[in-house]
Amino acid sequence: MIKAWIFCWCLVILLVPISAQTVTVNSFELPNGLKVILSPSNDMQAAAVCVYHMQGARNEPADSRGISYLYQYLMFDGNENLEPYDHVLFVNKMGGIVSGRVNYDNAVFYETLPAQEINVALWLESERLKSLRLQDANIDYHKNQIFNRINRLWESSQNFKAQTWVSSKVFEGSAYEYPLYGDLNRIRFLSNDRIRENYQKFQNLANILLIIAGKFDINELRAGINKFFQNIPPGRKPANPVFSAHNQRKSFLLKNWMIAGLKRNFVVYGIKAPAKIGYNFMYFDFLRYYLTDPRFARLDHILNIVNELDVEIESSFTDYMEANCLTIQISTSKRINLEKAKYVLEKEFQALGSNPISNSDMKAVRSLMEIDFLKSMISLEERCLRIGEFFQMFGELNFFDVQLKRLRKITSFDIMESAKKYLLKENQVVLNVYNK
Amino acid sequence: MFITNRNSPFRCIFCFLGGVLFFLGSSRELASETRLFSFTTSKGLVIKVLQDNDMPFIHAQLLIYLDGSSQNYTSLAISQLTVMNMFERELNSPPSNLMDMLQRQGNDYQVEQNPEYVKITMNFLPDRLAAFPKLLKEIFYYQSFHLKKFKQSKEKFWSLFAKDRDWKKEMAFLLAYQQMVGNFYFSQGLLLQEILNRINLAQLRSFLLKTFRPDNALLILKGKINPYFILGMIEKDLPQPSPQPSKAKKEEITINANRKIFVLNVNSAEQPAVYWFDAAPAVTDVSYLPYVIGNFALFGFPGGRIYQSEKNQFSMAGYKVNTETYFLKKFTIFCNYLRLKYIDLENFLLLVEQERRKFVVRPIERKEYLDALNYYIGRAQVETSRFDYDLQGEIDRFHSQGVGSLALPIGPQLFQEVSLNRVMQVMDEQMGSRHRSSGREKGIVVLIGNANLIINSLKLLKTEALELSMD
Repeated sequence: MIKAWIFCWCLVILLVPISAQTVTVNSFELPNGLKVILSPSNDMQAAAVCVYHMQGARNEPADSRGISYLYQYLMFDGNENLEPYDHVLFVNKMGGIVSGRVNYDNAVFYETLPAQEINVALWLESERLKSLRLQDANIDYHKNQIFNRINRLWESSQNFKAQTWVSSKVFEGSAYEYPLYGDLNRIRFLSNDRIRENYQKFQNLANILLIIAGKFDINELRAGINKFFQNIPPGRKPANPVFSAHNQRKSFLLKNWMIAGLKRNFVVYGIKAPAKIGYNFMYFDFLRYYLTDPRFARLDHILNIVNELDVEIESSFTDYMEANCLTIQISTSKRINLEKAKYVLEKEFQALGSNPISNSDMKAVRSLMEIDFLKSMISLEERCLRIGEFFQMFGELNFFDVQLKRLRKITSFDIMESAKKYLLKENQVVLNVYNK
Repeated sequence: MFITNRNSPFRCIFCFLGGVLFFLGSSRELASETRLFSFTTSKGLVIKVLQDNDMPFIHAQLLIYLDGSSQNYTSLAISQLTVMNMFERELNSPPSNLMDMLQRQGNDYQVEQNPEYVKITMNFLPDRLAAFPKLLKEIFYYQSFHLKKFKQSKEKFWSLFAKDRDWKKEMAFLLAYQQMVGNFYFSQGLLLQEILNRINLAQLRSFLLKTFRPDNALLILKGKINPYFILGMIEKDLPQPSPQPSKAKKEEITINANRKIFVLNVNSAEQPAVYWFDAAPAVTDVSYLPYVIGNFALFGFPGGRIYQSEKNQFSMAGYKVNTETYFLKKFTIFCNYLRLKYIDLENFLLLVEQERRKFVVRPIERKEYLDALNYYIGRAQVETSRFDYDLQGEIDRFHSQGVGSLALPIGPQLFQEVSLNRVMQVMDEQMGSRHRSSGREKGIVVLIGNANLIINSLKLLKTEALELSMD
């Protein structure tokens, strides 16, 4: 009997910390089809309102690529009742933060502000959905701004050019092949009517999630949502987006660029990585942390500390739903060091596919990933983004425990298998950029 | 229905369920609020534990105090090099015990430094809490200095110094700070390579012995922590520090924030940056919040007088000024900064001066005051969504050592208690005619950009220039 009691109490004690960590998420739908997702946290005095569009640049028609990128700027350009940037000023005046971006798979716009001002954010977002200002003058202004800015970058930065080329080759044949800003010349001469017409699809309510996280009173919030959003006309239900994970590349691609007057030689590696919807994504993400996260920085350690090559390493990761790309750029003024670095890197990739990572490294990276994941659940904006992404990919809302459990169970065998599959030479695009 | 049989299985089940409900209820109660525990260990380390049972990881901040008032650029370089040798990931060869321990702890740490303290911030999972006291011991009794690493740290100093931070702002701040506490002579130069070259490893060791001591530090932990458990572990693991050399009695700092304009030259195609530094009351002083509101009425975006005048009087592009606050023990430094075109540089500086003078003759209007109040009350609420928002209040409280009567941490309520009259009174004290009697305005201005272009664009204002090239 006593044993049974002790067992029961142990069970309760074990379960309490798990339940304390769970992030609560629930949802409801308005009659016009707008899906509202709520994630309350009553231990703060702030709230975030996020409008999550379940579509982005990948859904653009081929002849108007870059149109969503243009919307990113137009979204702050006022509407029927507000002048350009009033939206930002409103929220800024009450100590809040406004942000937004368009990506390939989605587009998010959010405000974080004092909890009692949540209705202001709802009003601002509803105004934006109802009557975004799409007049010729402001569309033309942003077309020119984007054209000039990207052109300047293109002309001045060899790194930008090289990374754009590598990325386009890694994603060849997929929706991610073209840059987010599309074809600059084409978008500049695209008719404004076309831009206005396409916006109807972009702001289709059936394809939008309204995600609210932080402190709120559920009854007041519901009343606010009804007041501001129920009069927006319903959108046409889009065909369920079907995501499919892309396979790895089948052939190695190597290219050399010779550029006169280049100060530092560099090489850009583009490694095709698993889709976010795929099971392998987390394992590859582990590899990315291990190799390139500045807090762990294995590559920096082997190239600069063990081999003393004095090279600069930069990396980026795309975070897309159907396929991804890990870009590693190594640069140095000494060509010989660059060649050595490439050799060492290849050996390291091979070693990762054949030898398991040490237990202490496994533990360290796993814990780093877990801390980052937990931090992202505390940050209101990131939590909204993760909830939206997970719902878009899997139609599920409660992912926190599942993700955490999977993260804690990663083994060195999983990582070795992932390295074998994705760090293969055939899965790489390599661009050498040398001084002529 | 009353169960009289003591051995009845129903009675046991009800008892158990009651117990579970009570346990869960009490844990929920505990989870709902953050509780503060303060201790001082027998070795003199001050520990503050913010027990938050909802937090899924542990956040730690360790502050080690430096003698800010007696710092010059040599001592500054010694402390920078010490921190680099101990914590810089890029210099981990040969590997040190400390770096291994940090890695096992999860490796999510960062170290920042100002003239008054080194702050080590760390996040780790609760299962690493038991190992944390050993890590503390390793920091306080570090013995892994290595000549090779030391040489590398000097060679790579600038690239490491500039890594992951706004180094221009940092340099401008150091310059302004030295100017304010009165230890800086322009001929000394800044943190230059020749200063670094003169430093040897023995100086780092002696600095470490003198400074990295439990009785010269503050530790704050936040998360699901049993405070008595961690106190016991730290008591057990930290050895007694060596006796502290008797300190000479410090002279009271006289803050000298008289107007000077410095130009630092960098070879960059970017627009020049303007950093405007003002010495303000310490964060625990009752005049601090009125100053914050007054500063917003001047520099704030979009309602601030400078932003409004830029557009209305000078037809400038409407530059947004950012504000950053450096909390120091005896005073606070406000840094208002922005980037702008060379052509607008002098107009902007003259405009700021003009608006500061007007402050006394044209008092802050009620609307300006309410706008500032509204902004800061909202900002204080938005900040509560950060997991570390309540730590700064504890640090400030510790700094003040009972001096100053402002209740901390600063939240919406404290802002509501600041009256418009008080704001005017404080701004008059800080910027009013009393301070201009010597003919000197207040505020140290650091301009960073192409020095030739800057000096050519300043026709009326007198500057001191220094070449600083980090590109």
